[in-house]
Amino acid sequence: MTPPAAPAQPLFCKVLIANRGEIAVRIARTLRAMGIASAAIHHRAERDARHARVADEAHEIAGDTPVAAHLDADQIVAIARACGANAIHPGYGFLSENAAFARKVVAAGLVFIGPDAATIELMGDKISARDFAAAHGVPVAPSVRAGEDIDAFVAAAEATGFPLLIKAAVGGGGKGMSIVRDAGELRERARIATSEAQRYFGDGRIYAETYVERPRHIEVQVLGDGSGGAIHLFERECSIQRRFQKIIEEAPAAPLAEPTRAAICDAAVRLAAAARYGNAGTVEFILGADGRFFFLEMNTRLQVEHPVTEMICGIDLVRVQIEIAAGRGLPFAQGAARASGHAIECRICAEDADNNFLPATGPIRLLRVPAGPHLRFENALDEGQRVTADFDPMLAKLVAWGETRAAAIARMIAALRELTILGVRTNVDYLARVLATEAFRAGAIHTGFIAEHAAALAPPARDPVARDRALIAAALGQRGFREAIAAVEEPYASMGRWRN
Amino acid sequence: MPLHLTLDGETHAIEIVRRKPRLVLEVDGRRYEVVEDVDQGVGSLVVDGARVAVARAVVEEGPRETCFVRIEGRTHEIGLIDPREETAGRDSSRDEIHAPMPGAVVTVHRRAGEAVARGETVVTIESMKLQTALAAPRDGVLAEVLKSAGDTFDKDAVLARLVPADGD
Repeated sequence: MTPPAAPAQPLFCKVLIANRGEIAVRIARTLRAMGIASAAIHHRAERDARHARVADEAHEIAGDTPVAAHLDADQIVAIARACGANAIHPGYGFLSENAAFARKVVAAGLVFIGPDAATIELMGDKISARDFAAAHGVPVAPSVRAGEDIDAFVAAAEATGFPLLIKAAVGGGGKGMSIVRDAGELRERARIATSEAQRYFGDGRIYAETYVERPRHIEVQVLGDGSGGAIHLFERECSIQRRFQKIIEEAPAAPLAEPTRAAICDAAVRLAAAARYGNAGTVEFILGADGRFFFLEMNTRLQVEHPVTEMICGIDLVRVQIEIAAGRGLPFAQGAARASGHAIECRICAEDADNNFLPATGPIRLLRVPAGPHLRFENALDEGQRVTADFDPMLAKLVAWGETRAAAIARMIAALRELTILGVRTNVDYLARVLATEAFRAGAIHTGFIAEHAAALAPPARDPVARDRALIAAALGQRGFREAIAAVEEPYASMGRWRN
Repeated sequence: MPLHLTLDGETHAIEIVRRKPRLVLEVDGRRYEVVEDVDQGVGSLVVDGARVAVARAVVEEGPRETCFVRIEGRTHEIGLIDPREETAGRDSSRDEIHAPMPGAVVTVHRRAGEAVARGETVVTIESMKLQTALAAPRDGVLAEVLKSAGDTFDKDAVLARLVPADGD
């Protein structure tokens, strides 16, 4: 599908991007294509960051830390007003699902590119979202809420049956989450989850729900017009996760029975329509091996993995978001939504994948990006940049499309081999190993995949010839060694050979 | 004097065997003919006639120097031990002989009070089954030799100290 040409009169004169990194760069690209001016924000510690350079203008935001600055709703709204922006795109993370921020944006006379604050609030609280989903015929897992009376919670949880998954009412990212397999550990796990939820999200409410064994994470991209009209743009599979966070996503899902796929997409549209959802959103589900699926949560923003949907649908989701926010309504009716081929996204992270995925820091000394048809490398990286602990360890997203899932996997593996990010430890080689496993190729995936295949995913022993070549390359990169080759000089000359 | 590199916790020694007409290197005793064509960290390496694409970047973090080498879709993180560091000490004061890696003393060649010339071997150490000669970083007199044959030490331990020779 060809995206519509930029209208003669842009939908907005200027949009402030309340984000940073790859997503800010990606949003700026669409704004430019639409003839809309872009305004970036940056903390002084990221003055030279790419997202601040690619926008039409950049404004410094103050804060004790860069993250604190990016979370300062009042300051960001004030900058948007001062610079003459008519709308704010929040990206993902930071203030994107903050109802108070959405409210402030609207109160300042600006357009929030996302759903309205009440919807963000409804879906932001996992308990109210579950209730809403259940009330509209969307399947939810049997669950128990923890109240003041911990004994009553434990009794009710036992009655629901094990295994159970304990979760925080608000928040995400695995914080406060834990799997409980018997009554003995329930009380202590509940206590820990409550305190984690309180610490991370300022809200100690938790609940427990039936834990689906070997679950798959399937989510549906939905678009709503804000008045009850909603469509879906098919599903994504995000079952490859480490530390409860996705690292490989694909669209459509790995093998999935057609009736199940249809039922999941219908449920998502039903939810979005019932909520009178206005803009792009994602409804997440857990799918069991038996084909039963349960509502997990709704993300009221652009998703990190949205490019895989764009690749199979031939659509620019940020453009659609802007058009909906400008009152243009949905881009097409459900019957006109088309998908073709298969797309995979790999999240490139600065981390030690072979050591419990510990975040890594360091400089980016060398960057070589794969190129070719049907490939996207979403990033905001520059050689010379330092990867610090200030932000999330995700450096970039590599996205590959193929006519079939096998073709997409092959293209992705080739692109990962070509991708060169040197100076900081990354998960690039690890991701390639995941994609190369028989289990992944066969689509035998679930959220415990990484743990289940840990042995197969460990780095293979280095081939001695390859190792010696690497050692030679390293030696030739060392100044002293190069000098020794160029001329016989100190200290080499006086040392001679010590070894026989 | 070979260059010492570490990979996966193992130390490897690379030595220049011949420079001309073609560069010949020895890696832990294995001999290779090498032609390198690398510009700005990217290029190719021909080892014994086989060409591979290579990318590399060196990162210096404090006293550590690490070379990231990417060959055939795999990144190798290789620790570099500068031969001058190896002999001169990491504080570059050039007055101390430091251990480049943990190990044991094999032979003490010079005693405290003896004059040594730059490059003269003071102690021979063994580390990960490799012997390394540690030389005086400059001309001077050995003020003290802190280890004896058989003594073990940690990485960066001071093995000997130098003072300037009289009249220096």
